Amino acid sequence: MSASVIDPSKWKHLPPPPGFGASSSTVCHRTPTKTSKAATASYEELKTKRAWDFAIAPAKSLPMQAFMLYMSGGGVQIFSMGIVFMLLSSPFKNLAGINTAFAPFAPGSAPPKAFSTLVLQKIVYFLCNILTLALGLWKCRSMGLLPTGTGDWLAFETRGPSPEISLL
Amino acid sequence: MRLLSVLITICCLTQSWALHSSEAGIVDWHKPLVGVPLYSTLSTAPAFHRISEADGRTHSVVLTATASNVLAALDPVDGTIAWRHIFEANEHVIAYKQHGNVVATVSGSGGATLRLLDATTGHLLVERCFHKLEAGRLFEPETLGTALAFDNEENGDTYVLSNAHILRRTNAKTGEVVWGWSAPDQASLVAYSRLIATSSTVYVVGLAKSFTSYTLHVSAVSAKTGEFITSIDVPSSITNGLTDFFVLASNKHPQVKPRIMWLEGGAIKSFPLTPELKETPMMIKGAEYHKIVDVGLSEHGQFVAIKEDGAGRVIRLGEDGVKVIWEFAESATSKQYTESIYSGGLDKDGWPYIARVYWSHISKKASAHILAAHLADGKGLVTGFTLPFQTSDHGVITHVAVDIANPEEFKVLARLFLTTSTGAVQLWQQNELQWSREEGLAEIKVAELVELPEKQVVTAHAGEDEPVGERLVRQLSDARDFPQYALNFARRFVTGSYASVSSSVAPSANASEPLARDEFGFRKVIIAVTARSKIYGIDSANGEVLWSRVFGLGWAAEVGGHIIPVKIFVTRTVNDGGAPEVVLVTQRKASNSLVDTVIFHVNPLTGEDVRDPTSPRDGLLQGLDVIAGPLVETYMLQLGPSNVVVLLDEFVQVHLYPNTDEIRDAFVKALPSIYLPLRTGPPKHRQLTGHQISPKPEFTGKHVAQPTWTLSLPPSEDILAIIPRPREPIASLGKVLGNRTTLYKYLNPHLSAVVAGSSVSCSLYLIDSAKGTVLYHVVLPSTDGACDIKVVLAENWLVYQYYDGDMGGVDQAKGYRIVSVELYEGSGVDDKTRSSDLSSLSNKSTAITTFEETFVLPRAISTIVSTATTHGITMKDIIVASENHQIQSFPRRFLDPRRPKRKPTNEELEEWLIQYDPILPDDPKRVLSHTYQVVGTKHIVTSPALLESTSLVFAYGQDLFFTRVAPSNTFDVLSEDFNKAQLVLTIAGLALAIVIAKPIVRRKRLREKWYDQ
Repeated sequence: MSASVIDPSKWKHLPPPPGFGASSSTVCHRTPTKTSKAATASYEELKTKRAWDFAIAPAKSLPMQAFMLYMSGGGVQIFSMGIVFMLLSSPFKNLAGINTAFAPFAPGSAPPKAFSTLVLQKIVYFLCNILTLALGLWKCRSMGLLPTGTGDWLAFETRGPSPEISLL
Repeated sequence: MRLLSVLITICCLTQSWALHSSEAGIVDWHKPLVGVPLYSTLSTAPAFHRISEADGRTHSVVLTATASNVLAALDPVDGTIAWRHIFEANEHVIAYKQHGNVVATVSGSGGATLRLLDATTGHLLVERCFHKLEAGRLFEPETLGTALAFDNEENGDTYVLSNAHILRRTNAKTGEVVWGWSAPDQASLVAYSRLIATSSTVYVVGLAKSFTSYTLHVSAVSAKTGEFITSIDVPSSITNGLTDFFVLASNKHPQVKPRIMWLEGGAIKSFPLTPELKETPMMIKGAEYHKIVDVGLSEHGQFVAIKEDGAGRVIRLGEDGVKVIWEFAESATSKQYTESIYSGGLDKDGWPYIARVYWSHISKKASAHILAAHLADGKGLVTGFTLPFQTSDHGVITHVAVDIANPEEFKVLARLFLTTSTGAVQLWQQNELQWSREEGLAEIKVAELVELPEKQVVTAHAGEDEPVGERLVRQLSDARDFPQYALNFARRFVTGSYASVSSSVAPSANASEPLARDEFGFRKVIIAVTARSKIYGIDSANGEVLWSRVFGLGWAAEVGGHIIPVKIFVTRTVNDGGAPEVVLVTQRKASNSLVDTVIFHVNPLTGEDVRDPTSPRDGLLQGLDVIAGPLVETYMLQLGPSNVVVLLDEFVQVHLYPNTDEIRDAFVKALPSIYLPLRTGPPKHRQLTGHQISPKPEFTGKHVAQPTWTLSLPPSEDILAIIPRPREPIASLGKVLGNRTTLYKYLNPHLSAVVAGSSVSCSLYLIDSAKGTVLYHVVLPSTDGACDIKVVLAENWLVYQYYDGDMGGVDQAKGYRIVSVELYEGSGVDDKTRSSDLSSLSNKSTAITTFEETFVLPRAISTIVSTATTHGITMKDIIVASENHQIQSFPRRFLDPRRPKRKPTNEELEEWLIQYDPILPDDPKRVLSHTYQVVGTKHIVTSPALLESTSLVFAYGQDLFFTRVAPSNTFDVLSEDFNKAQLVLTIAGLALAIVIAKPIVRRKRLREKWYDQ
């Protein structure tokens, strides 16, 4: 299993097999460099586009999630609770893994896992996740699971003894 | 907390609580009582009655009218109640008379109603009302002016004298009045009180008031037609109009004319009765007499006359006239024995016997002498025996009824039915006690439930320096029971046979263990104090009397007196460590009209005197005279770890019990914060005045309460009752609404309800008893000039019941109304003033919001209480004793004043509010007393069990009834049908699966590591 996830950087530096030496390719050295440059540029552009797509993906799935919430109903049951739990937990999970998630889309020049790469996309991604979270919280509220009323804190209130004693 | 309350509500809604038939008689018990016999007049006193059956055999019953307004028949064989006839509270039983298989009884003032009952079954045969209760003439005593007689000759028609001047003959079968005769001079001063019927003539004998004494007056009326024959004044002078005259007849000698016997100036005189009333009075010569006693044999021609020296003589009316036939030996007044009680009885053949019973101070035993006048060839035969009567348990003998068997010549066997001063009735066959009934329990004045200690499992052993050998032996012997224990444990674990909430908690019959509670705290000891100077400890598991003590009178023993219980306090519970203690505060009224306040301090488990543990258990319980004078009020106050009884005398001086230095210091420290409302002013115009206690003692060395405020009631109103809010734990401080806002409960600890009334209306106030503010006030109609309002106050709610006799409009009806009031803090939702720990002197303490709603109760009730649980989490039920002799519970959910008057909205549904319906559902499944007829309940005590869901209920007044209720179901124990075996089997199966699967999985993992890819 571990064999399938070999890092590509490992085989980049291996010596080429015999007969496939670097010298053989020097013949057509110039033109391929140009084309590869253009390819790299379009590749980078593609990566940026993909990064943008990825950033707004949570927002795109919102209507579907809203529909699911609607279908699951307002009662406190296993299905609605599962969906709400997913809605509440996935933003946090996503945000925790934000750098790794954006690493494949990092431009070649920037360190792929740095926080500073793709900042704009990450901010949008963050906002979209907040939207999901908000949807989850809204659902919680509508289900009465958020402790917003005084009634939710009543059990924690305490009272002391009365300062006066009346005998009866 | 909210989840819990929701759960509880769900429980309550899904399966409405009801008693299972399998639990009836197991979780509850009922002790039917008849009450203490009315022995002061012959017409109501206990008497044996022999009933002949169709096949010639006979059986007896003991008939008696009682102070609880019941006519009862007891089975003399085992002391069970053969039957009892319960009269309405306003219709007192006045007289009864037995004849063959019929018992006739007259009740209501002046003898308003005649009833004929079957003597064997108590079934009502005939009922006839002569006049309305209000039309009855009131006499003192009530029995005067009423008499009953049977027509011996014919079909057993009844003659009834009522209102002291009207004589009626009533048909035995139909109850029709055959004829009636009214004395023409009813407005004059003649009051008839005796009645005798012969086959031809009925004589009514009464007294006419003359200047210093009474004169006899006789009227003769034809028995057939009711025609008036004649009437005369017999020249006589009687001083005591109640006891000093009666009519003597001899049914063994029908030809002998009946005679009036009376005592006049120390001489017995007689007047023979003939229809013409032409005879002249005669005098019995021989001795000076002190009094004459009708022993219940006046129709059999015998009575007892007491001479000046106290000696008793038996006088008989025979063919040869009225003659002294016997004088009881050694019956003269003496220091060695008490005054004798004389009583007459019959044998199977109708021969009369007279018993003399007295208590000997020398032998400490009771003695009985039976005179059989007809035996020994008419010379008279006396047999005697002594009774080992327990005077320390039952006081003194106050009345004796006798039944005689004469199986052979010279053999006389007696059965004595004793009534004692503590209210016990006993049946003795010769000198053997057959049975005893504690009828005094029908007059319980105060009662309290006391928790029992846990069962002592570990036995104490010797100290640390125990030799090794001995210790080994002890531990081995301790371990002897281990295999059985282990077996029991395993069985219990597998089958789940744990203690059940629906099983009896009564100890096994042969258990001699000390008192201990059960797993759930259902077993308590009921301390009950009766008006007849006796305190009982009753096992709440089965109603058995565990112990009882008779109160000593202290110095008043010389002059006599009685003890009136006022309040009972549990000053120490088992939770405080050590043995529990109760303090009973009483007032002792000595016969010389001096009143003292006396305290009795007892251990509720044993009945032992806490003040003097060395005093013998079988002696009288002596009290402590704390105040030489009457008591105004008494309270229990918690000062640090100990509870102190605070008593106020008539000068509002404070007395403490126990009165030690530490307690005095603690009391002085607590003084500035103590407030007490007292009833002040003349009777009928009492006002409520708030008092504080002076910080410095007065010159008497006592602190004195000083008035601080007065509740200004209208001058016509009198305070009838003050009901404080019970001090019990409250789990939730507010009520959460559907939109999750909160209504904070108004939990002012000084909240009290005051019932005040004048002749035209009643008032109900809710006041703050620390500062005297009226928080809620309502004016209610009074019923017949009396305020009959039943109130229960708990937490933040008040429920009261009254009778609405007004016909306000077309759509209104008379009936019993029950009103539910709830008080919340501030001006609405989410407004909290912290009322439970807010100073009463704060302005905010009166800011309340009230919700109230009226409902219709199906019937009248005699008392109303709410259930009580340990932590106050369980919802409260209202328990009432209703007029149809039942104890019933009503869930408070139905009495919620916030029930909407339309279809409830979703938010209201979330609060489990149901639509308002004025009529409370009268659910027969909620009748706690199921098939029992719980008669005469005046009070109900509720007490928490250890199990939060369950509350214990004890009802008293006449019958005793005990049960336990779980208003929100037993949510804190697994239900009875929980399948423990299945659970255990499932777990065992899973464990087995793990054991099997674990090695397999391990092996598979290893294989994968070697051979995969």
